Amino acid sequence: MIENDRIYVDYIVLQKQKYKKLIKFNKHNLCVNIGRDTINLSGIEGCFFSSVFKLYSSSGKKNREYQLELTDEVVNLKDEIDIRSSGIDNRNIIDDGMSQKLTTAEIEDLKVDSNKASDIVESLIVNSNTFHNKTEYAQEKYLRKKEKKYFEYIQILRPNLRIIAEVMYKLDPIKIQGIRLDTLSQIMTLANIHSEGNHLLYDSGSNGLLAAALLSAIGQNTNGKLVHIHPGNMSQKQALLAMNFQSEHYNRCVSVNVYSALRQYYQGNDTNAKSHHVQNPLKRRAEEKIDSKAKVAKTNNEDDNINITSETLQTNDTNTNMEPKKPKWFFDNVASSLILKDKMDSLVIACREDPKNIFMELVEFVKPGRPFVIYYCVVEPLQQLYSTLKSQSNIAALKLTCNWMRHYQVLPERTHPEVMMNGASGFLLSGYVIS
Amino acid sequence: MSFGNYKDKIDEGDTVILYLSNTLYAIEVQREIKNKKGDMVEYVFQTQFGALKVKNLIGVKYGSRVELSKGWGHVLQPTPELWSLTLPHRTQIIYTPDISMILLQLDLVPGSIVIEAGTGSGSLTHALIRRIKPHGHVYTFDFHEFRANTAKEEFESHGISKFVTAQHRDVLADGFGEDLIAKADAVFLDLPSPWLGVPHAITCTKDQGGRFCSFSPCIEQVQKTCLALQEHGFQDITTMEILQTELKVTKRTVPVRDLSFLKHKSSESPVEEKPSSETSYVASTWPANVAGHTGYLTAATLPPLFRRSKAKLQKQHDTSSEERRDSSDDGKMVIDESKC
Repeated sequence: MIENDRIYVDYIVLQKQKYKKLIKFNKHNLCVNIGRDTINLSGIEGCFFSSVFKLYSSSGKKNREYQLELTDEVVNLKDEIDIRSSGIDNRNIIDDGMSQKLTTAEIEDLKVDSNKASDIVESLIVNSNTFHNKTEYAQEKYLRKKEKKYFEYIQILRPNLRIIAEVMYKLDPIKIQGIRLDTLSQIMTLANIHSEGNHLLYDSGSNGLLAAALLSAIGQNTNGKLVHIHPGNMSQKQALLAMNFQSEHYNRCVSVNVYSALRQYYQGNDTNAKSHHVQNPLKRRAEEKIDSKAKVAKTNNEDDNINITSETLQTNDTNTNMEPKKPKWFFDNVASSLILKDKMDSLVIACREDPKNIFMELVEFVKPGRPFVIYYCVVEPLQQLYSTLKSQSNIAALKLTCNWMRHYQVLPERTHPEVMMNGASGFLLSGYVIS
Repeated sequence: MSFGNYKDKIDEGDTVILYLSNTLYAIEVQREIKNKKGDMVEYVFQTQFGALKVKNLIGVKYGSRVELSKGWGHVLQPTPELWSLTLPHRTQIIYTPDISMILLQLDLVPGSIVIEAGTGSGSLTHALIRRIKPHGHVYTFDFHEFRANTAKEEFESHGISKFVTAQHRDVLADGFGEDLIAKADAVFLDLPSPWLGVPHAITCTKDQGGRFCSFSPCIEQVQKTCLALQEHGFQDITTMEILQTELKVTKRTVPVRDLSFLKHKSSESPVEEKPSSETSYVASTWPANVAGHTGYLTAATLPPLFRRSKAKLQKQHDTSSEERRDSSDDGKMVIDESKC
């Protein structure tokens, strides 16, 4: 095993059964809330990723505060509890609320006194009038439900794109513009995102998910670059930071504000950047501060980044005699403008604004023969754009698609689609730019 | 040679995609081609818009317009997506929506080592290569000798052979071979009985663990695969189905029928009783016939070795080859433990 496989102070994913939570593990004794439970993470640092920990109560179970203990085996309720008999069907089971002989108070006491989940569940079963008349399948379902409630193990995973996208979508799809996993995967393939080339992303808010996706496909120690254009004052970076990219990798994503980047590209250096700075001193300063704070917490790549951009600047011979203290966004704007001058190999747009003007402006940077993808959460703006582009001669293979995805429960004799599925996936308009 | 990095101009030997208003063709750019009699003749490609002299493509910029005898088209550099739409089918192939999900489910990034069985027509293989290059590698297997060899030649002529090893091998019977033991980050199976491949997948997955994904058209296959995965200690086993529909965008003009005037007696002569005006929409319609099923994707995580052996304790039966690997791994584990 290599050191890289150990949990260190960075983003981690905590998994409890099917529930996953993305956590910024920024101090050794961090406490996180999972449902009503508080879990103290001290002790996980230095363990291997994928390690499993048993929850044990630190200050009486009433407080629902837990410590973690590294463990080797996970005991399933099904294996612990021996079920002797089961019924054939449910004709004799009446839901009269009387089947459980224990009172709520007694069950609460049981929870406090028992140190194993299986003890609690076993008592529940012993005191149930109906459990042994339930069918084998119903019993198993009952145990699964109880296991969910009393499960006492968590696993720490290394975040990756799949997990981050899943966690963010489950948490609040609106915050990532409703980009579901299948849609995300198709954005990456349809735009032919890979390790070489300059990739252009316009993202008006997905908490950094799209930038994380693209940068992950661009890869570590490659030549690919990503220009991440956003309309806000500062770029959203949550998912990007959660990927724990190395600084070499992370720094190949240049995040810039759309106005400053395009102004820099068309109108050139300095004067406007300065006036911009003066116009809006408070906001700008805030951005700098937060930016650098985030950086320090992650890696100290701020310096590297400035080195890289200033190097490229010198080759650009525009402004060799620079003042020493310029904000990071200034260098980012210059860097992005240099990449845009090279022309781009792909264009991805996921916007909340009307996509037409954004596309028309940004498509000018895309080389002929290269793909583009536009995501929108409803179909109408893309329909309009489709009609517009269809009448133009510079777009080929235009395609408007919608996606559908369904999960399955696969169990012997009980395989069927999951009862709930997510119907909202948004729409993709994709094609190739031609000359 | 045009499947590697992006290039500006078409060279001889490139495969290019000819795009003609919604029809795509893949053309290998050669000056001459063998005719039915076996003689070399000038390569002329016939399309719905007439003939294309293929040698004229040499030196043309990708993305530009080319003239045909009865119209014009555009030439594109192939991407795995365009290739999936134009490649010569030797088998049923996996298309872009499923391919995209497979790439994501396998957690592939540049540098990953991935095993694929079977190669089939190489539709997925091209996409795998695109995702894992330049540092990664794809090992792809097919039990059909002709298909394996054809795929190998194709990867060579596409200029991507250094990222892929195509082999003829019945992996369900013989495994993936000694060379790949504990080498892979991810294993993908598109085989008639994927559950038989699960033990081999474990043998080849890295000690840090990895991802597994299987594509099966039938739910019975999925059930057996899921059982096998569970027995062998995989976690996070999920099965899903992906569909994509292309919407047809049309402008529709529809009549507006005004009925309100009927409430009142009109002073004038009776109004003509037919629609009074028109309105138009841009509308997208679902095609009448769409793909309703491609296959089920089953994905799962193989935990790292230190968690795996514990999970295996519960296992009822082991194949002998696996036991051998188990014991050797246990030895490795001890060394690892002492290191830390």
